[in-house]
Amino acid sequence: MKWFKLGMPIFLMVVGLGFLISAINLPKANLGNPNGPLYFPVGISILLIVLSVIYLIQELRKARESNDHIRELFSGRTPVLIISTIVLGVVYALIFETLGFLVSTILFLGALLFVVNGPRKWVSNIIVTLAFSFMTWYAFGELLGVSLP
Amino acid sequence: MDAFIEGLTTSLQPINIMWIVIGGFLGTVVGMLPGLGPATAVAVLIPVTFGMDPVSALILMAAIYYGAMYGGSRSSILLNTPGDGSAIAATFDGYPMARQGKAGEAMALSAVASFVGGIMAVFGFILLAQPLANFALRFGPAEYFLLMLLTLSAIVSLSMGKMVKGFIAMSLGLLIGTIGIDTQSGVYRFTFGITELSEGLDFLIVIIGIYALGEVLFNFLTIDEDSKKERKKVGKIWFTKDQWKRSLMPMLRSGPLGFIIGVLPGAGGTIASMLSYSSEKQISKKPEEFGKGAPEGLAAPESANNAASVGAMIPLLTMGIPGSGTTAVMLGALIMLGIRPGPLLFENQPETVWTLVNSMFIGNVALVIINIVLVGLLVKILDTPAKILYPLIVMLAFIGTYTLSYTAFDFFLLILFGYFGLVMKILDFPLAPLILAAIVGGDMEQNFRMALASSNGSLGIFFGSGVSIALFVLIILSLCYPLIVKAFQRRKAEPTS
Repeated sequence: MKWFKLGMPIFLMVVGLGFLISAINLPKANLGNPNGPLYFPVGISILLIVLSVIYLIQELRKARESNDHIRELFSGRTPVLIISTIVLGVVYALIFETLGFLVSTILFLGALLFVVNGPRKWVSNIIVTLAFSFMTWYAFGELLGVSLP
Repeated sequence: MDAFIEGLTTSLQPINIMWIVIGGFLGTVVGMLPGLGPATAVAVLIPVTFGMDPVSALILMAAIYYGAMYGGSRSSILLNTPGDGSAIAATFDGYPMARQGKAGEAMALSAVASFVGGIMAVFGFILLAQPLANFALRFGPAEYFLLMLLTLSAIVSLSMGKMVKGFIAMSLGLLIGTIGIDTQSGVYRFTFGITELSEGLDFLIVIIGIYALGEVLFNFLTIDEDSKKERKKVGKIWFTKDQWKRSLMPMLRSGPLGFIIGVLPGAGGTIASMLSYSSEKQISKKPEEFGKGAPEGLAAPESANNAASVGAMIPLLTMGIPGSGTTAVMLGALIMLGIRPGPLLFENQPETVWTLVNSMFIGNVALVIINIVLVGLLVKILDTPAKILYPLIVMLAFIGTYTLSYTAFDFFLLILFGYFGLVMKILDFPLAPLILAAIVGGDMEQNFRMALASSNGSLGIFFGSGVSIALFVLIILSLCYPLIVKAFQRRKAEPTS
């Protein structure tokens, strides 16, 4: 759990550094002040790095304190639920444009319901999946005129 | 005046009344879901307004916003789980009332209190909005930059005890705002060769990612505990004469209080409701009943909270500066609808503003009716297992994201921000500064550079006018605010220890 608490400030430092380095390497502007696009991102990324260092020191001081949320994150079904949602989301992103809205949404929502609501309630899962997939397809595609793949 | 009447007739058109009712109902339902607040409701429902004409869309958005405010306290009263900060105070006496079998009375009282606060605040809006917009017309880039800085610093320092995390969230938001083509020079910044990023990172994706997907992921932490909560008996759905008598004055006092706090940058519903609760408790003749189901302990914060949500529309519409996470989401929705809030909105599109104001009136009337007449239906929805609702919200978040720019590439960004929102919630970061900064960040930088360009690079421009000096003093004060509070608490604590 310690790595989770200390990982964040380190991650933030990396983000700050990444922005700082790529900001310094930005091309000069042809219009107006040549360094105009630089000031703001450079300033903010330095601020972020400084704050992350303070945050890291604070966290190191109280590294022993337990955080209930982190405990919950690694207990019970939670890790499975979160990882499945993310993985299913990535799959959804990959199949959305090739399989089309209806098929991919039915697969995505159905799989998500099976994971979250449990396979034992498969009847209600299937009904909810079909009902809501068709409803959103109709509402967005037909009523609101959104062009869905 | 003409614009007011025009606005009234527009918002009274049957189709717009229908949108108010639909929006109010949808907002109430999503705002009511345990663990999800008004910001989530607005974020998830933004795509519903696609393809509508802007005025109807605006009315629908506003109705969703108010509906979510009404709905937020339903889960506070029935389940003791507030959807967001502004609904916390409703648990203090609302939940004890529900435990005594008076859930129906509590819900009716909270709806009426919200209504009273809301209507009082709409009058406040009418009085205050125009003068403030006229005042804001004199603001130059330097003043705007400082005003945005003040809003950000206020929202960070009001997230008490999380100053460092708040400023980290703010910096991240500001950096997100710099991604994409720089409008002043045409330089591509931080796009890393990804063409989808050249237009910038759509802050609506950040909003939906953090407030919709992130919140659902966060709720997964406790998903197996919630289902065991017992269901309270609703009882009769109207309050007694005695409850009304005790609540009337607190409601009337809390309305203006909440409105004023709502207008201030960074404050919003949470502080308004907490302050009204504690001040009512102080002046009450029966302070010992507070926390044990005192009706005024529910009515006062509900009135203040709803008044604050209307008050928060003033800085949002007159200056384009949102004061809280939820209004930041509203700003995102407005920009998407092609409405550019700011002082010019009142000059160029007065009918839009007054339509919105009148829809607030009608919306509050519709909501009080929805929340009392449909209590039975609403309670049933609350009974729907969260395990079915959360996947549906996830699906809506994805579809909403797709409709923003019609590319599934955005799904990856959505997942990224959803996950990041989860981590931030777990580590107790305030989310509002990030959202707010991501939305105003771009404008803030442009104003900063325009101010510098007009002064040939001299920073003196930021102290060049009375307004900017006043804003500067306020920024310093807001940064010192937590220290001042600490000093006061210490002085208070000393005599007793």
